[in-house]
Amino acid sequence: MLTVENLHAGYGTSEVLVGVSLEVKAGTVVALIGANGAGKTTTMRAISGMIRPNRGRVLLDGRPVQDQDAAHIARLGLAHSPEGRKVFGPLTVEDNLLLGAYGRLPRFFGFRARAAADLKNIYALFPRLEERRLQTAGTLSGGEQQMLAIGRALMSKPKVMLLDEPSMGLAPIIVQEVFHTIRRLKETGITLLLVEQFAKSALEVADYAYVMDRGHIAIEGTPAHLREDERVLAAYLG
Amino acid sequence: MYTLLIVQLAVSGALMGMVYALIAYGFQLTFATSKSINFGQGELVMLSAFFSLTLIDSGLPYWLVVPGGMLFGAVLGLFVERTAVRLSLEQKGEGWILLTIILGLLGFSAAENIWGRDDRPFPTPISSDPLHFFGIDVTPLELSVAIGVLAVMGLVELFKRKTLLGKAFEAVSADRDAAQLMGISATRTIQLSYGLSGLVAALAGILVAPITTVGPTMASVLILKAFSVAVVAGLDSGFGIVLVGLFLGALESLTSFYLGSGWREAPGLVLLILALAVRPNGVFGKASIRKV
Repeated sequence: MLTVENLHAGYGTSEVLVGVSLEVKAGTVVALIGANGAGKTTTMRAISGMIRPNRGRVLLDGRPVQDQDAAHIARLGLAHSPEGRKVFGPLTVEDNLLLGAYGRLPRFFGFRARAAADLKNIYALFPRLEERRLQTAGTLSGGEQQMLAIGRALMSKPKVMLLDEPSMGLAPIIVQEVFHTIRRLKETGITLLLVEQFAKSALEVADYAYVMDRGHIAIEGTPAHLREDERVLAAYLG
Repeated sequence: MYTLLIVQLAVSGALMGMVYALIAYGFQLTFATSKSINFGQGELVMLSAFFSLTLIDSGLPYWLVVPGGMLFGAVLGLFVERTAVRLSLEQKGEGWILLTIILGLLGFSAAENIWGRDDRPFPTPISSDPLHFFGIDVTPLELSVAIGVLAVMGLVELFKRKTLLGKAFEAVSADRDAAQLMGISATRTIQLSYGLSGLVAALAGILVAPITTVGPTMASVLILKAFSVAVVAGLDSGFGIVLVGLFLGALESLTSFYLGSGWREAPGLVLLILALAVRPNGVFGKASIRKV
């Protein structure tokens, strides 16, 4: 569903990614783990078009998208829930969710009715969001904002979802909740690329995993395979 | 009787202040989406007024001239975005400052060449015969300014709150990168904001033209006041802009009565300096003050 081939990208003249290749098959959860600064977030940003890759290809459902801008890639079916959540603070929870479905809703009127069923699904998944649907997103707690960021990404009914550091800055009990949500999403058959610093939890939920090191993929394999790899054990699961 | 006179002066001044507020609102619109403004906005106001005058001379009824002039302003706004703003924003540069000033100068020369240097009256079907409210005289012309300003600002705010496109507009203002990830094109949204900004600026020109007359320099003072209002009120509060506009208008009118008309421009300047001294960050925002 999502294929990345020999991706090179960076900021200005410094190249952060030096040939990243990975694949996310339809209906699977793939984890991308690695140390801070290994290039996980940069990989996500290069896939979703937030930064333009210098070299390499990104194939979404077989279609090369590496030259498109972020808005266009999003409308082709890739939902990127970015690092730091990036909810629209001054807007209400419900408006945030509606904007998640921007690409497939009418621009002026009738968008609320068209999105009603999808909103209902999101609220079933995250009852807390329904309670706070008219509150501005900036007033939510970190965990609630993460739920909103995931819900917003789901609203677009993506072919592939990128989820970057959903546990960042959250209390351990909330992190558990986030992973519980990811498992439930997995049961629905979502195609997900997950970046996580909690490698252990990420490997528990993933079907396949890549370990990044200094801008490229150092190790890859099934979680069972990686758990027995000495390098992974020493560096990330110790 | 004396109090009545003061109230009379304040009310007339405040109604003029609404025009400052409307132009300042145009600054708000583009600043929200792109953190840039058109420094040639005054010339945009003036060109739209001249264009509307030409429409009137060609025999078009006033009620068609108003939307025609506003449409012209919107097209000018789009032109400014395309030629002076987009490229420099893509390069994350500050080139738009110089480029919008230059476009303004070009507009000024164009106006002098096409329409001449003389100030010309702007005919309007709206009467200048005063109406009396509790002893205060207000002309329908002044009222039309206030109603026009509030109506167009109200419509734009309604658009931002009630339509999905409007919410997308707010999303780009809040976080441009995240908005792009929702499939919202930031470029298109910035374009829209410049179009709307031109539209409201043109309306300001059309509304004020019967009072000030139309000439190449008609907006140079107006635009300074609008800057003051925008800076004092901050660039994110539509409500604040109306309040400050009313206040500044009333203050000017009283100042010119008590101190002489030569002092008319003083309150705007004093307010601007005060705002910059007391709340330098609450207005344009830190980074932009450095930029501008």
